[in-house]
Amino acid sequence: MNNVNAAEVFESSIADIDRAQVKVDVRNLDFFYGASRALKGVSIPFARNKVTALIGPSGCGKSTLLRTLNRMYALYPGQKATGEIMLDGENILGPRVDLARLRARVGMVFQKPTPFPMSIYDNVAFGVRLYENLSKPDMDARVEEALTRAALWDEVKDKLKGPGLGLSGGQQQRLCVARGVAVRPEVLLLDEPTSALDPISSAKLEDTVTRLKADHTIVIVTHNLGQAARVSDYTGFMYLGELVEFGATQDVFTRPATSRTSDYITGRFG
Amino acid sequence: MTDLALSPSAPPPRRRAAPRGAAIARVFEGLCFAAATFLLAALSGLLISLLIGGWPAIRKFGFGFLTTATWNPVTDVYGAAGPIVGTLVTATLALVVSLPIACGVAFFLTELCPAPLRRPIGTAVELLAGVPSIVYGMWGLFVFAPAFSKYVQLPMMMAAKPGSLLEKLTMGVPNGSGIFSASMILAIMILPFMAATLRELLMTVPAGVRESAYGLGATTAEVVTSVTLPYVRTGAIGAVMLGLGRALGETMAVTFIIGNSHGFPASIFDSGSTIASTIANEFTEASTPMHTAALIALGLVLFVITFMVLGLARLMLRTQEARS
Repeated sequence: MNNVNAAEVFESSIADIDRAQVKVDVRNLDFFYGASRALKGVSIPFARNKVTALIGPSGCGKSTLLRTLNRMYALYPGQKATGEIMLDGENILGPRVDLARLRARVGMVFQKPTPFPMSIYDNVAFGVRLYENLSKPDMDARVEEALTRAALWDEVKDKLKGPGLGLSGGQQQRLCVARGVAVRPEVLLLDEPTSALDPISSAKLEDTVTRLKADHTIVIVTHNLGQAARVSDYTGFMYLGELVEFGATQDVFTRPATSRTSDYITGRFG
Repeated sequence: MTDLALSPSAPPPRRRAAPRGAAIARVFEGLCFAAATFLLAALSGLLISLLIGGWPAIRKFGFGFLTTATWNPVTDVYGAAGPIVGTLVTATLALVVSLPIACGVAFFLTELCPAPLRRPIGTAVELLAGVPSIVYGMWGLFVFAPAFSKYVQLPMMMAAKPGSLLEKLTMGVPNGSGIFSASMILAIMILPFMAATLRELLMTVPAGVRESAYGLGATTAEVVTSVTLPYVRTGAIGAVMLGLGRALGETMAVTFIIGNSHGFPASIFDSGSTIASTIANEFTEASTPMHTAALIALGLVLFVITFMVLGLARLMLRTQEARS
């Protein structure tokens, strides 16, 4: 009976978002790791220039959902998604999608910092060079812009030729954000981006996320409920591969519609 | 609780007996030290005995031993330029041919290979690495050389105009054996080892780094050349150097197919010799003490060349590390 209730609330909250404002629309998505079904009929809209947080206990399918949005799972044989994911009205699960171009449109930052074995400058320029042929001054400007937006410019502007791997963990993660935004993706996926960071670096990264939404549609997976409440406009609560509740963050956190959601956000389980 | 333990009224900590492993630990450390020392002693012993054995030749021919190409057991005059050049040329050519193929195999196996093919190809690569060199040598002499002579060497020599560069490059007896054929056999021999090692190395790249590169919209070619290969470059240089080391020292297969002539090879199709093949061919028949000494000195030269290759690898690694 709880489920019926949840479904109703869910439908109504989706209706709250203006359809024209939906950048990515996930419809009835199932995901399989081999034979095991990790996502069960998930439907969720991601609104343009908003931050949507995905919360839920470990193994509930948050990261899996995120990895379908740029089809990162396609690197691994045996992983399969069915359903529809409409990016600006085009189904990215379709057979004729150019994966490289899709991933340039839908950028991703991972849980652990993953700088490439090259200089700070080249780390940021790497993705840009794949798609654009910029002159040296233009590229310099782009690199500076990306690093500034990731709140890292002041710390690295004197050592751009230094190795990316020589930075601290928090700086490396912001470098990865800079690298992600430098290619100007339309959607930015953040997979627990602060889980390996200290509180100060986390706070800086949260600032960055808030500033980035002016230009990007952002989806963030997080175990930190405070972070979800601080940075996101919408929140989806997932449990055992299903989307249990979705709505404006304020509503989900103050007036959760299902008891499971309220148990999770009050720390009774998860 | 910690406060309690620190307070003066607490009972003194119980005296612990020495750990049971204490006695064994000493023996263990001693054995490890002995093993390492033994290695060092063996290395220096080898070097010294080569020096002593080769000394008569070194004293008589001096530096000319390295730069002259006359190798004549009848007049007892020995110059090793032929075998030295043969060794360097065959090993380098083998590396140049096999490295790109090894990279291709490793990239295919780690990034592109459909799951059902991954194991069979991987196993084949490892099996190929285990084939004894004598088998490669026989195959080279009986199968590769005739085919090479018929389909490559002869047509090229026919096509070469007198006095042209091609004629210079293809000079020699067109029987299929020679420097070039030996290089090809060597390339096939070191290929599986390098491919297997590169594959292992590429599989150590963290999934996140690989995915980040794909996540920026890079294609497989861009991911492997710009991110994953540079990520393992230290190990990759090591693998290449080990392959080169094997090519430098390979004896049996090369002896079969290189043609075994002592002079300075006229072209890469000409027959020649390497240091290892010369030693293998002549050691049992060395007629004079000077001949034996010359062969031992040749061994010393090979030793030094291998040493220099390893040193070069170290140097490359150090400059790489300094840069990153």
